[in-house]
Amino acid sequence: MSELITTHPFNNDLRIALLKLNRPKVLNALTTDLLQEIVSELRRLEDLPEVRCIIITGDDRAFAAGADILKMAEATAMDQLNDKRLRLWKEFALISKPIIAAVNGFALGGGHELSMACDFVIAGEEAKFGQPEINIGTTPGAGGTQRLTRAVGKNKAMMLALTGEMISAREALECNLIAKVVPSMTLLQESFEVAKKIADKSPIATKLIKDSINKSQEMSLSDGIEYERRNFYLTFASEDQKEGMSAFLEKRSPEYKGN
Amino acid sequence: MSDYSYIIYDVQDRTATITINREEVYNALNADAKYEIVKAIRAANKDSEVRSIILTAKGKAFCTGQDLNDRSVQAGEKPVDLGNTLETEWNPLVQSIRNSKKIVIGAINGVSAGAGLSVALACDYIVAAPGIRFISGFSKLGLAPDAGSSFTFTRALGQKRTLDFFLFNEPLSSEDLAEAGLINFVAAELIEKANEVSAKINAMAPSCVELIKKNIQLAAESTFKESINNEIYAQRFLGNSEDYKEGLSAFFEKRAPNFKGN
Repeated sequence: MSELITTHPFNNDLRIALLKLNRPKVLNALTTDLLQEIVSELRRLEDLPEVRCIIITGDDRAFAAGADILKMAEATAMDQLNDKRLRLWKEFALISKPIIAAVNGFALGGGHELSMACDFVIAGEEAKFGQPEINIGTTPGAGGTQRLTRAVGKNKAMMLALTGEMISAREALECNLIAKVVPSMTLLQESFEVAKKIADKSPIATKLIKDSINKSQEMSLSDGIEYERRNFYLTFASEDQKEGMSAFLEKRSPEYKGN
Repeated sequence: MSDYSYIIYDVQDRTATITINREEVYNALNADAKYEIVKAIRAANKDSEVRSIILTAKGKAFCTGQDLNDRSVQAGEKPVDLGNTLETEWNPLVQSIRNSKKIVIGAINGVSAGAGLSVALACDYIVAAPGIRFISGFSKLGLAPDAGSSFTFTRALGQKRTLDFFLFNEPLSSEDLAEAGLINFVAAELIEKANEVSAKINAMAPSCVELIKKNIQLAAESTFKESINNEIYAQRFLGNSEDYKEGLSAFFEKRAPNFKGN
């Protein structure tokens, strides 16, 4: 059985693809091979024009819990330096289509970093989030101190990463780590509903919004506002903007073609 | 050889019954006993044959809380961390009942005291024998209520009566708690009543049972807006289930539904 299962179309909707991490025996530990599979699959879906939104999920027990500790225990710094993970994370960040993390169960360490690398997180009530690397004498290495701090601020990030403790979905929502909490059983259905809303929109505008928001994490406010403005201008070169505004004025639903 | 030393675990007619079996100490719980209950609830949730769970106990008591013979809770020369006992033993036990996807019916056969109160009242549906006493007892030891009982009692009794209960340790009876809405039934034929309730639940659609339980729990901690959103999520999910189709057909065909759990 493959370690990553793609369902496309998801719920008979060609615009939506579901990637399910499938290493249940090890709580979906995120090995380099699995990360490679995720990235390859995202790149394939990136090139399919009909795909408008991608959902990444795990199972009821774990979204993804950490890396492969067994493999890492004896690794040297040079092994880590030569590992392709850093390149894979960079490739992950190049995907321009929206990616939703649908989290049930544990999102820990590398698994939590995977959820933060996605565009936003929807969680089931029973999900748990944390960066437990400190418990095994190391530090987060794929955004667990950087994306985390940008999401929740210094205080909460420090406490989470320094104690290695987990927080509940409710707490994660309160500190802005995630976007929405739903009853666990309904997670995939509700993630699909959100994906559908995104898929109904202009793919051009969607891509540019994702780009602008991601840039906000890297730029000063004034540079970010300039950058955003340029993406805004750019939409006026699209058919989708014309269609969106005409549909609004004519009180009908728009039909976006992504051009 | 049974997997359990402190409890009895038995599955019959789709109901898993967990019986606390430490009569000699009035069913006080040590660390292993607590863990065994958690393990049994987990097993019942994993077993696709099981649709509901009954939690009860043997002897005169239901559960009298912490086994004070446990070394880790005895105040001595070394500092004792009762917070840790809660965090690693009692709270996981209470949470395993609350988080159980399958309904846990408490069949409260006898006195519940200390953290035993929290175990009893964490059950989703509660049947108690007549005249059973529910006692706090914490303040006699110089301790405060724990494992969820501050929350549970305050919601049902209000702050004034709850303060009275926890300050002065006057027992409340099953009848008192039934009146306060903390338990569902007072019944002399305790196990028969619990089995009757579980049989009803076992005939229902499991997803619907789970989401009714979940959304009621969430409602206690939500705003109105959050709560009506959770209802949307539940109804959208259930509306796509095979059991709903079966429920509808049964309704129109004027027959009893046969829910398959999908």
